[in-house]
Amino acid sequence: MDWFTEFLPRTPERLSIWIGVICTLAIYSLLYRENPFYRFFEHMYIGLAAGYSLGPLFVDIIYRYWIEPIWVQGYWAWAFVVPYGMYLYFIFSERYGWISRIVIGTLIGASAGLFFQEFSSRYLPQLNSTLKRPLWISSANPDITGWDVFVNFLFIAILISVLTYFTFSYEQRGVIKRTAILGRWFLMIGLGAIFGNTVMARMALLIGRIYYLLNDWLMIRIGGG
Amino acid sequence: MTPLTHLIAQSIWRLPETLSKDQRYLYASLIVLGAFVLVLGLIPVLQTLPPRGRRAVIVTVTFLAGLFFAAEFFLPVDWRSIFPKDDPTRNFLTPAIQPAQNVLQIIGALALGLGTYGLVRLHLRNVVQKRTQWGYSVVLLVAFVTMATFSIWNTLAEKELVKKTPFVERGFSILFDFTLVQLDAAMFSLIAFYIFSAAYRAFRIRSVEASILMFTAMVVMIGVVPLGAYISYTLLGLPQGPAPADADLWTRILHSAGLPTIANWVLTTLNAPVQRAIEFGVGIGGLAMAIRLWLSLERGVT
Amino acid sequence: MQPQTIWQRMLSIDRRLLYLLLFVNIVAFLVAPIRMTASISPPVQKFYDEIEKLKPGDLVMISSNWSASTLAENQPQLEAVLNHLMRKGVRFTFISIEAQSRDISYRLAERVTSAAGYKYGEQWAHFGFVPNLTVAIKGMVNDLPSTIKQDVRGTPIEKLPVLHGVKSLRDYQMVIDVTPSNTVPVWISYSPKELRILYCPTSVMAAEAYTYLDSGQIKGMITGAKGAQEYEQLLGIRGLGAPFANAISFSHVLIIIFILLGNFAMLMQRRYERREV
Repeated sequence: MDWFTEFLPRTPERLSIWIGVICTLAIYSLLYRENPFYRFFEHMYIGLAAGYSLGPLFVDIIYRYWIEPIWVQGYWAWAFVVPYGMYLYFIFSERYGWISRIVIGTLIGASAGLFFQEFSSRYLPQLNSTLKRPLWISSANPDITGWDVFVNFLFIAILISVLTYFTFSYEQRGVIKRTAILGRWFLMIGLGAIFGNTVMARMALLIGRIYYLLNDWLMIRIGGG
Repeated sequence: MTPLTHLIAQSIWRLPETLSKDQRYLYASLIVLGAFVLVLGLIPVLQTLPPRGRRAVIVTVTFLAGLFFAAEFFLPVDWRSIFPKDDPTRNFLTPAIQPAQNVLQIIGALALGLGTYGLVRLHLRNVVQKRTQWGYSVVLLVAFVTMATFSIWNTLAEKELVKKTPFVERGFSILFDFTLVQLDAAMFSLIAFYIFSAAYRAFRIRSVEASILMFTAMVVMIGVVPLGAYISYTLLGLPQGPAPADADLWTRILHSAGLPTIANWVLTTLNAPVQRAIEFGVGIGGLAMAIRLWLSLERGVT
Repeated sequence: MQPQTIWQRMLSIDRRLLYLLLFVNIVAFLVAPIRMTASISPPVQKFYDEIEKLKPGDLVMISSNWSASTLAENQPQLEAVLNHLMRKGVRFTFISIEAQSRDISYRLAERVTSAAGYKYGEQWAHFGFVPNLTVAIKGMVNDLPSTIKQDVRGTPIEKLPVLHGVKSLRDYQMVIDVTPSNTVPVWISYSPKELRILYCPTSVMAAEAYTYLDSGQIKGMITGAKGAQEYEQLLGIRGLGAPFANAISFSHVLIIIFILLGNFAMLMQRRYERREV
């Protein structure tokens, strides 16, 4: 009986947990079939998510980077940024829609300009690391074993064959075609690894939810370790 | 000091410090009002441009925004005497990164707000025009307004700009911790059910490719979880960890036959080069795309 | 109507039955008192070793970009990592590029740090939410206080004791990216080269990151909830990772069995149809 009295939503803490459980079960009711209960909570979810984002957007960004610098510190030139950004909101207008593209152009231009740095510090070190792999045993790298040399050859062979598969500039024939087929098989290993990990992630999310139902709501204590 | 740092540090950018608080608020408000009038007042002027002129404005803005970041990255840090020699990590454009970052954060926030604006606009229309199932739109709007109020209030209270009352704290906690977080977690956990059902109904081994994919997935799925370690090291009694340096071939094989070791080998030796090949493809494609976007060669975007 | 074969019936099983089966499987293996020890994978071991190398007072940036949708994957990771950082006595600051993760990580860190007696402002701080991570990193490399300006509590960055003397991201020793989205390439691309990057992705993102591990662009990785279990094991603490990883194991077994069953039923049905013809 103790468990049951504790289980009921009689304190604010328990009531909060019950609210969370009702939300969860409402969403799960979709698994049985589409129903008004689910639709209600689905719309509530979208409304809450959209409403919540205004807090961080307004306070963390607009207050921090616009209101405080102008009104508190007196940097008046910032005043022009928000009206300029507001051009974005003309996107819904048929007549003035093109004006929003000026601001979109600013964002796109900036990310395109930034990409050069990304290219040099994200992709080039990977090329460097590939080219630096030792392919024979020598006095220059005494720690390298025969197995390491094999693994390095395999690494480069896989890389080249997959890149061959990605090459569409000319018709693939003969050796190139066979390399490309091999590349496709290796690509499947990569995709298999991604698939296995994806299943693991999705299961973890469901387990997290079931843990909440069991541990927090039904108070079945599930220990770790 | 570089010319740009010098320019940014000028006192003309700041209202005089001799002003009282009220005067500063008044002047700042007037300037913001003026900025709105000026910037929004530009619209009728821009509207008189012919289509080619409009495109020229967009192309120029896009190019200049890209040029700033590209030049800041490409220009050498120590080139002729106008560039600073005291700090090897900057060139003469680097000080302008600060204002540029603030501008982009503000525009980014306004762009995110655009999504919210579109959503609210759509559902307000549903309600006003009493479209089918408009009741759900009312639910959405009520949830939106309630949460927006509590969220802004709570975030302001965190910064001690408004008073934090137990009502706000409790209300925000119920809406955020016990409703939004729970709904979000539940919504995304649904995918687990669908992935299970889809794996059973649609994952068919009909080709070499599908067999390789499934075999790899299985090795990874069992090898990386504790069950793989349990099967290998407890049930089968395989030795754990790397083999000793002087071990014979059989011992070495036994040491590398555990499922976790195999799964890790698949991930690091077979999977890594595949991911790198994908990265190279994405990198080259991304660079080409960045140049096309920067120079407005990509139609339909700018 | 032609009578259905057993294989056809197997293939057209009600999906709700499958859902129920998965649900029951997970409930059973969460509640069952089976606890298997994990084998520590090399990326997790490297992650641990990198944090072990930190000295008390070193500064770490935690980029926490996850929302409730990946709570079960990222929460055990972040809790385990925070425990380790506090054990080493290092200072840390948070930044989020996702609005929801701002509050989730702030609330979680407040709970975990107050339990360990870590003081806000002196040993850790939260920089709040920024929508554009790329320019934020570039700004922080150039001048951190004027990029971030103030923390979530509205205190100017210059007045936070935890950031005393910090001018740039270069003054940090490490970045830890706890994320369900593609943010680690941004850190790799724009942060200073000497900054060590550690990665806590959801499992979905993990396979793709092995190329960065190989090139040394990231120094260690904790893969989802199962990686968190390995980390908890290294730290000798009890967290959410262990029960989650056990239940994950058996849900994988269930899925593998059903993939094989589905293929077997399809094969048998085809043989039956060929015989009929």
